[in-house]
Amino acid sequence: MEDAKVLQQERISIYHDIYDDRVPKRVPVNINLPFEVIAQFGGLDLRQAHWNPAMLEEAVDRICELVYSDVCVFMGSFRYPSFYHILKSQSFKMASNGYIQHPEVSGMYPEDYDYLIKNPYDCLVERVIPRLYKAFNPDDPIGFALNFAKSLLAYKEDFTLSAEIRKKMIDKYGYYPEGLFSENCGFTETPFDFLADQLRGFKGISRDIRKMPGKVAAACEALYPLVFKKGLPKKISKYSQVFLPLHMPPFLREEDFAKLYWPTFKRMLDEYASMGIRCTIFCEHDWMRHLDYLYELPTDTTLWFEYGNPKLIKEKLGKKHIITGLYPIMNLKTKTKKECVEEAKRYVDILAPGGKYIFNFDKSPLLLSDIKLENLCAVAETVRDYAVYTNPGEVAGMVFKKEDYKASALKNFESRYYISREEYEKLYPELSDFARGKLERLDDEMFDYLMFLLL
Amino acid sequence: MKNIITLNDLIIKAVEELDEERVIKLASKALKSGMDPLFLLDLIKEGVKRVGKLYEEQKYFIADLIMAGLIFKEVLELEEIKAQFQRKSDEIEGKIVVGTVKGDLHDIGKDIFKGLMEVNGFEVIDLGVDVPEDAFVKSVIKYKPDIVGLSGVLTTTVESMKDVVEALVQAGVRNSVKIILGGNHITREACEYIGADSFTNDASEGVKICKQLLKSK
Ligand code: B12
Repeated sequence: MEDAKVLQQERISIYHDIYDDRVPKRVPVNINLPFEVIAQFGGLDLRQAHWNPAMLEEAVDRICELVYSDVCVFMGSFRYPSFYHILKSQSFKMASNGYIQHPEVSGMYPEDYDYLIKNPYDCLVERVIPRLYKAFNPDDPIGFALNFAKSLLAYKEDFTLSAEIRKKMIDKYGYYPEGLFSENCGFTETPFDFLADQLRGFKGISRDIRKMPGKVAAACEALYPLVFKKGLPKKISKYSQVFLPLHMPPFLREEDFAKLYWPTFKRMLDEYASMGIRCTIFCEHDWMRHLDYLYELPTDTTLWFEYGNPKLIKEKLGKKHIITGLYPIMNLKTKTKKECVEEAKRYVDILAPGGKYIFNFDKSPLLLSDIKLENLCAVAETVRDYAVYTNPGEVAGMVFKKEDYKASALKNFESRYYISREEYEKLYPELSDFARGKLERLDDEMFDYLMFLLL
Repeated sequence: MKNIITLNDLIIKAVEELDEERVIKLASKALKSGMDPLFLLDLIKEGVKRVGKLYEEQKYFIADLIMAGLIFKEVLELEEIKAQFQRKSDEIEGKIVVGTVKGDLHDIGKDIFKGLMEVNGFEVIDLGVDVPEDAFVKSVIKYKPDIVGLSGVLTTTVESMKDVVEALVQAGVRNSVKIILGGNHITREACEYIGADSFTNDASEGVKICKQLLKSK
């Protein structure tokens, strides 16, 4: 236990050094494995484990013991079947092998654009969510209300269970305690990706870009306050992070990217930065065409790359941003241990100098058979032992200051399904401040859940 | 006559510019004025080929290829075309069975590849997504294709693709076909591990490889 505390202090200091723009003692090893991989590792039936996350604890403990990482190896899951099942989700369904499938869906039609632009939240709640979640059945309002409440209970239960496991492991193994699922972090999508994902689908959006680019741009503007709010951490600290996976840019022409994707994306990161929040963005696929744009993002944005030339990335962006990713997870399956280890050193040699580097793979494995665990362990330990700095404490590149960023006056959205504090004051002058604050918080939680269903 | 020539060019250009409404309008007009549906399809294909070219030149990107595919599909849905769409077999360069392998539902890449293969004169038998290995075996036996194309984007598909190759070996038909893999995560090592003949992470390169594979058969 004492050892764990000491180790945790070291881990906190290497992560904080990175975010405080100093060269850390060594490169943080940021390895997370998804729920499915750990369940398989523990020999569990995925169908059962997904319904009963508590079952995972023993396997999580064993994998934490086995695999070196500075953050908890178990990252939890967003996709528990309980609430999706209750809501009759079309977007997320459990396959016969227990895997949670996500088929392509399109919950919004081209004719919905005008309503979305005018009243984004109403449109999502009235049209999009009911199409994707069949339990929203207007012919059975009472049945539906009960099922919706039930799904929210399930959601809370399953997330609490996996958070408890994570908490235990963080204490037992002394991991860096902050991260995607902690209170001071958030998760969201950019307006364009949110629109492209479950609303229009990838094929639908490709058509809209050509046929109605003006509406696409206006829809991104309309969605902006919603996705921004969704990402806001519950508690904002100096080390708060918002995580955004970015899907569409590699598929767009530059002029479409510049006009439709970039403006609300850039504004979002600037606005978070003005509040002292830095973002981790997962640049899916190949972003080499977009490096100059990435440079424009707030200092210390963590850029998680999937593909690309590490040298060029480091040269162009390494002084301003924090780089992570790139190491191909496929190697762990198809190459020898020796080759994997050599390759890890090669990435470290290119990306570590000067600081602002966190080790991670290009993407997460999906199933245990995607990797050889032995190679994974060897790579993680190599980075831990090899990627040690001789100049810890020195200033690492550019320094982040939240004062450098201006927030655009955040226009809150209005909707009959979301009551703000001011409205509560008008509606219920007789209530105490505490009571109104509580109601507002519950509205926020409801907002959070409904938006989650579309992420 | 002059009119007709410009109409042809306009159709090709509208496809190239991905102007869906204009393509459909022009195509319907052409068919009404007596254009042979097969000839119209050739024009559309020429347009799609040009889109492919722009993609190779990095002027167009994946969203554009998706759009070209949607336009192509839309034209195929026109009544006159549906009635006529029967390719004569002597025009066919080769036959390929494609599918996204077991466990994977991603089909954007596969559909793009399929579209480009069709405009390049291949007959494509599309098995869809999440296709188990025995479905590949059955269709190889049934359709006797020259090539089997396996698509996938998930890292797990390395195993599913290997299963397909092994099933073809088991069924004794592995050597009657060439096997090509498509997907961003496929590396040379993965291709060897799977036991395929070739791989690519680019659809137009895939078409070129398929043409070569035909020659080497
Ligand atoms: C679009 C997308 C989706 C859409 C799919 C829509 C559809 N109808 O296909 C949706 C939202 C449904 C989806 C779902 C999921 N996705 Co997804 N998705 C993507 C995304 C953004 C793009 C994939 C894509 O279409 N690429 C474009 C095409 C054109 O590329 P391509 O397939 O490689 O095809 C090219 C070539 O390879 C070639 N080609 C393709 N096929 C063939 C075949 C032959 C024979 C040849 C010669 C050539 C060829 O031609 C194409 C053009 O050049 C990627 C991330 C990214 N930005 O890359 C994630 C990604 C693939 N998804 C991922 C995941 C994890 C999922 C889910 C599992 C998520 C979940 N659990 O909720 C589900 C999986 C469902 C399933 N079982 O398949 C991960 C995979 C990680 C991994 N370890 O493998 C990725 C990489 C995201 C990430 N970086 O983490 N996804």
